[in-house]
Amino acid sequence: MNKKYKMSYHDAMKINRRALALMYKHFPGAVMSTFVSAVWGALTPYVGIYLSALIISELAGAKDKNRLITLVLISLISAAAISLVSALINKWKNVKNSYNWNRMWNIFSQKMLDADFAVVDDSKTQEHLSIVMQNENSGGWGLTRVLGNYSSLISNVASFIGGISLTVTLFVSRVPESAGGFTVLNSPLFIVGITAILIAVTLISPALSTKAGSYFAKNSKTNNYANRLFGFFGFLGFLNEKACDVRIYDQEKMCDKYNLDKESTFGSGGLFAKIAKEKEGPLAALSSAVSVLFTAAAYVFVCLKAWAGAFGVGEITMYISSLTRLSGGLSGLLSTIGDMRNNASFLKTAFEFLDIKNPMYQGSLSVEKRSDRNYEIEFRNVSFKYPGSDSFALKNVNMKFRIGERLAVVGMNGSGKTTFIKLLCRMYDPTEGEILLNGINIRKYDYYDYLSVFSVVFQDFNLFSLPLGQNVGAGVNYDRERVEKCLSDAGFGERLKELPFGLETYLYKNISKDGIEISGGEAQKIALARALYKNAPFIILDEPTAALDPIAEAEVYSNFNNIVGDKTAIYISHRLSSCRFCDEIAVFDQGQVVQKGTHDALVADEGGKYHELWYAQAQYYTEKE
Amino acid sequence: MNNAETEKKKREKAPKPKFNMWQNSAWMISIAWRYKEKKVLVIALLQVLFYVINTLIGLYITPTVLAEVESHAPIWEIVGVIAAFAGGMMLVNALNSYVNTNAFYGKITVRSVIISLLNKKASTTSYPNMGEEKYKELETKSTESTDNNRAATEGVWNTIVSLLQNIICFIIYLVLLSTVNVYVMLIITATSLVGYFVSKRLNEYEYRHRSERTVPGAKIGYVVRKSRETAPAKDIRIFGLRPWLTDVYTDAMRTLFALRKRAEGVYIWSSILSLVLTLLRNGIAYSYLINLALSNGLSVSEFLLYFSAVGGFASWVNGILRDFGTLHRQSLDISSVREFLEYKEPFKFDDGEPLKFDEFGKYEIRLENVSFRYPNAEKDALSHINLTLRPGEKVAVVGLNGAGKTTLVKLICGLYDPTEGRVLLNGRDIRDYNRRDYYKMFSAVFQNFSLMAVSVAANVAQTEDNIDFARVKDCISKAGLTKKIESLPEKYESKLNREVYDDATTLSGGETQRLMLARALYKNAPFLILDEPTAALDPIAESDMYNKYNEMAKGRTSVYISHRLASTRFCDRILFISDAVISEEGTHDELMRTGGGYAKLFAVQSKYYKEGADNE
Repeated sequence: MNKKYKMSYHDAMKINRRALALMYKHFPGAVMSTFVSAVWGALTPYVGIYLSALIISELAGAKDKNRLITLVLISLISAAAISLVSALINKWKNVKNSYNWNRMWNIFSQKMLDADFAVVDDSKTQEHLSIVMQNENSGGWGLTRVLGNYSSLISNVASFIGGISLTVTLFVSRVPESAGGFTVLNSPLFIVGITAILIAVTLISPALSTKAGSYFAKNSKTNNYANRLFGFFGFLGFLNEKACDVRIYDQEKMCDKYNLDKESTFGSGGLFAKIAKEKEGPLAALSSAVSVLFTAAAYVFVCLKAWAGAFGVGEITMYISSLTRLSGGLSGLLSTIGDMRNNASFLKTAFEFLDIKNPMYQGSLSVEKRSDRNYEIEFRNVSFKYPGSDSFALKNVNMKFRIGERLAVVGMNGSGKTTFIKLLCRMYDPTEGEILLNGINIRKYDYYDYLSVFSVVFQDFNLFSLPLGQNVGAGVNYDRERVEKCLSDAGFGERLKELPFGLETYLYKNISKDGIEISGGEAQKIALARALYKNAPFIILDEPTAALDPIAEAEVYSNFNNIVGDKTAIYISHRLSSCRFCDEIAVFDQGQVVQKGTHDALVADEGGKYHELWYAQAQYYTEKE
Repeated sequence: MNNAETEKKKREKAPKPKFNMWQNSAWMISIAWRYKEKKVLVIALLQVLFYVINTLIGLYITPTVLAEVESHAPIWEIVGVIAAFAGGMMLVNALNSYVNTNAFYGKITVRSVIISLLNKKASTTSYPNMGEEKYKELETKSTESTDNNRAATEGVWNTIVSLLQNIICFIIYLVLLSTVNVYVMLIITATSLVGYFVSKRLNEYEYRHRSERTVPGAKIGYVVRKSRETAPAKDIRIFGLRPWLTDVYTDAMRTLFALRKRAEGVYIWSSILSLVLTLLRNGIAYSYLINLALSNGLSVSEFLLYFSAVGGFASWVNGILRDFGTLHRQSLDISSVREFLEYKEPFKFDDGEPLKFDEFGKYEIRLENVSFRYPNAEKDALSHINLTLRPGEKVAVVGLNGAGKTTLVKLICGLYDPTEGRVLLNGRDIRDYNRRDYYKMFSAVFQNFSLMAVSVAANVAQTEDNIDFARVKDCISKAGLTKKIESLPEKYESKLNREVYDDATTLSGGETQRLMLARALYKNAPFLILDEPTAALDPIAESDMYNKYNEMAKGRTSVYISHRLASTRFCDRILFISDAVISEEGTHDELMRTGGGYAKLFAVQSKYYKEGADNE
C-alpha cells in the first residue's frame, strides 16, 4: 500500500508534465495566463522592497528633501503601475480560468463518449471513474491540482531568483578592515557556512510540512469511504422517493449511529483527528518553529554586517525582506514538489482511466443508402458471453430478417432477448459467429454509419432535460414539422398542444423551472417519436410497455403497426399477448432460440416453451371453471 | 439606477430571516457546547490569541532591531533582542500550527451534529411537509449550508475567528496610530471604507446577474454528467446524440464566458479604485511621516513602525468589513437551517398519545367519510371513502393508474391526514397518537423502497444492534432467499449498496423483492400493506410473489394494491377505485357478475389471453 502510494520523483514529475500537457491542450489560455500571473506576482514585490530601502537609507543618512520627494514619488507611481498591470493580468487569468472545474470534468465525460459501449457498460469503468471523481472532489487530488501546482512552482522559482538578485550584495559587501574581529564576516568560509545554515533550515521546514500533509493523501481511501458513508446516512431523510419507507421502518435511528459517531473517520475522536493530534500537529509545529530559525539567522547575519559597517540601516530592511522571500520561494518550491509527488499517484489513477482502450474493431465501409430500403440482416451461429462471465448469454443463434417484416422476440426475463438486441445494434461484438448486413460482417462497416440503420426504444431509454423538440430531433436544429408529426404519430399530439412553450418546452425541471414533468407513458411516447424521427429502416422496441397500465398498453399495440409503416420492426416482450400480430415470433430460452413461427402455430405446439409460457400467463385472465 | 431599484425591491420582498447574526453565532456556540465539542471554542480563542501576538511581533521586530543597530548598541544586546523575538515567534508559531492542524475535526463534528439534526427532522417530519414548496426550499438551503467544509455551519468558525483577530488588531493599531495623528488615522479609515463599499458593490456584479447563469450553468453540469453515465449511453450512440450534447455544452459555455468577461470588465474598476486609494493613503502617510522625520527628528525605526502600521490599519478595517459581510451571509444560511429544524409539524409526535401494539391484539382500521385533496389541486384525489379493515382480512385495491390507490394507502398508513373525515384505529382517531408509534403498526412494501447501506441481516432487522439472527434466517428462508444469501462469501453479513461499499453485493430486482418480504416478515406488524411492489416483475414472478405474501399474511390484516386485476383474485374483498371513489366492492366473482368497471377493465386486460384460450 505504502509503496504503491509513493512514486519516484522522476516518475512523479513525468506524470505531472503529462497532466500539464493535457491541460495545455484543452485550455491553453488558462495555462498561459496562470503562468504569466505567477511570474509577475512573484517578481514585482522586490521593486517595492528595493525602493523603500532607498527611502529609509536616505532618511537615516543625508535626509535630502528633494531626493526624498523624488524617491517617494517613484515608489508611489511604480506601485500604482504594478497594481494596474496586475489587475489586467488578473482579469485575463480570471476569464481564461473560469469554469475550469466543469471543463475538466468534461475531459472525463468526453472519454466516456469516445469509449465503446462495452467499456461504458463495464461496472469497473464506472467504479474507476467514481474513484477519480471522489479524489478530485473531496481532496482536490488529481487534475484539479495540476495547474495550481505548476503555478506555485513557477512563482516560487521566480521569488527565489528575484531574492538572489537582491541579496547577492549582502554576501559580497565587505565589512571594513577597521571593524577588527568582525572582518571574519568577510571570509568566504563564513559566507559558505552561513549560506549552508540558511539553506539547511529552509529545507527542513518544508520537508516536515510535506510529511505532515502526506497523511491525508496516504489515507485518501479511508477519506473517500467516510465521505460515502456520510453522503448516504447524512442525507437519507431528504429523499422523497424513500420517505414512506424511512418512516414506516423508522430508519432515521440507523442513520444517527453513523452521523453522531465521533469515532468516525472525520469525527473529533476519529482517525484523522488522532493523526492530527499525534503526528501531523507536532510535525507542523516543528516545521513552523524551524522556519523561524531562518528568520533569526538572517537577522543576526544582516545586523552583524550592518553593525560592523558593511552597509546602512536601509539595506537591513531590504536584505531581511528579500531573504525572507527567497527562503519562502525555496521552501515553497520544495513543498510544491512534495505536493506534486503526492498528487502523482492520483494522476496515475486519472490517466489509467483516460487510457482505457477500446476493444472493438472499427471498420470503414459505409452502409449503402438504399431507397428501396432493401436491407437484410442475418445472425450466423452467434454466441455471446458478457465480459468476465463464464456462461453464454446467447448460444448459437441463427436468424435472418428482411425489410418490412414484423418480428417478435419473446421469452422470460433473462432469456437473452435484450442481449440479442445489444448485439444487433453492435453495443457488443459476438464472442463467436458473425452478424451480417446485406451479406457483409457488420464489423466492417463504419460504426456510426452502421448504427444509422437502427431506431431503438430501449426498455431503459433516456430522455434529456432539454427542450422537447431537441429530444425528438436529436439536435439543436431540427425539422419542426416532422418533429410535430412524429410526436402526434406516437400519440403525444394532444399533450403537445397544451404545452406552454410547444417544442421549446423543457422536459423535467432540473434545468428550467418552466419544464414539465411527464409520466412514464408520456416519456415512452416521446421516445417513440424520437425513434420515428430518425426514420431508420429498422425500428426496435424493447419492452416499451412495461411501465404502462393495461389500457395504455392496448393503445400502444393497436397503433404500433400503423406507425411503423414499411419499416422492419423488431418487438421484444415478456408479455406474449403483445406479439400476436407479428409475422414471426422467435422464442428465447436460456440464450437460445428454441422456437420460431406464428402465434397460432406456436400455441398449437403443446410441448413447446411458447405454449407453456402462454398458459402460465393466460391463467390469470381465464375464468375459473 | 433601474437595476438598483429592482434590487431594492427584491431586498424588500425577501423575507427577513428569523434569526440574526448574533443569535446564529450564539446557536452555533451552544451546539458545540451541548454536544461536548467545547474544544472548538477553545481552539478558536487560541487562534485569535496567537494571531494577535504574532502580528505584534511582526510589527515590532524590524523597527526594534533597526533602532538597536542605528544606535550602535552593544552587539550582545542586538543578538539578545533578535533571540528574544525569535524565541517568542518560534513558540507562538509552533503552538499556532499545532492548534490549526487540530482545529478541523471538532468543527466537522459540530457540522455532523447539525446534519444529523437535519436528517432526523427530514426523516420524521409530517409526510405532507415534504410536498410543501417552502419546506423544500428550506431543505435545499439547509443542505447547501451543511454539505461541505466551506459551508456556513463549518465556515462560520473561521469567520468568527478572523473577525475577532481583525477587531483586536484594529484596536491595538488604533491606539498606536492615534499617538501620531488623529487626522491621518481618520483619512486612512475613510479611504478604506470608501474602497470597501464601492468594491463590494462592483464585485456583486455576478451575484446580481446570477439568474442569467442559472440555465447555462445547469445545462453544463447536466450534459457533462449525462455524458459519463451508463444509462443514456445506448441512446447517445444509437441516435448519434453526441453532436447535440456538444452543441448544448458549447453554447452554454459561450454564454457563461461572455458573462464572466463582462463581470471581469466591471471588477477591474474595483482594482483600479483600490490602487488609487492605496496611492492616496501611502502618499499621505509618506509625506506626513517624512515631514516628521525631517522636522521633528522621528527616528528611522519609528518611521518604519508607523509606516507599516498605516498599511496594517487599512487591512484591519477592510478585514472587519469583509468578515461582517461573510458572517451576514453565513448567518442567513444558518438561519435557514434553524427554520428548517423548527418547521411546523401538523402531526403529533412526542406530544401525542403513545401507542404500543400487542402481537396478539386485534386491530381494526376504519376510514370514516374520508376525502383527500392534494394542496393546490382542483378536485379530490379521494372523495368520501368509507372503509373498514377488519382484523385478519385480505383486501385488494385495484384500479387504473392515477385512480387514487396510492393515496388511499398513504391515508391508511397515516402518511397523510384526510382533508375531511377521520381515520380510526379501534375507534380512536389516529391523529391523537404519536405518529411514529402508529407507523409501528405496519409492515408496508411500497413501490420505492429504501435499502440501507448496511448488511443483509441489518436490512432485514432494520437495526444494527441486537439483531435476532435466528429470526433473520427464518424470515429470509420464508422469503425464499436463503440459497442466494448463503452463496455470498459473507452470507448474512454481506453489505448492500455499491455506492458506499466497494465489495457490496448487488441483488437483482426479484431478489430485492424477496429481501423486502423478509424485512416485512421480521417486523411482524399487525397490518401488511403492499403498494404494487411488483410492478417491475413479469406476471408470473408477480403472482409468485403475491402468493408468498398471501402465505405469510395468515392471521394478519393485509391490503394489496395492483393495476393488474388478475393478481389479487385470492383476496377476500376487492375494492375497485375509479374517479376518486370506491366504485365497486366485492369478491372477484361478484364483481365480474355485476359487469361494471371492474369487469370491463378485466376484459381489456385479458383480451389477448382469453382469445388465445378460446382458440384451444
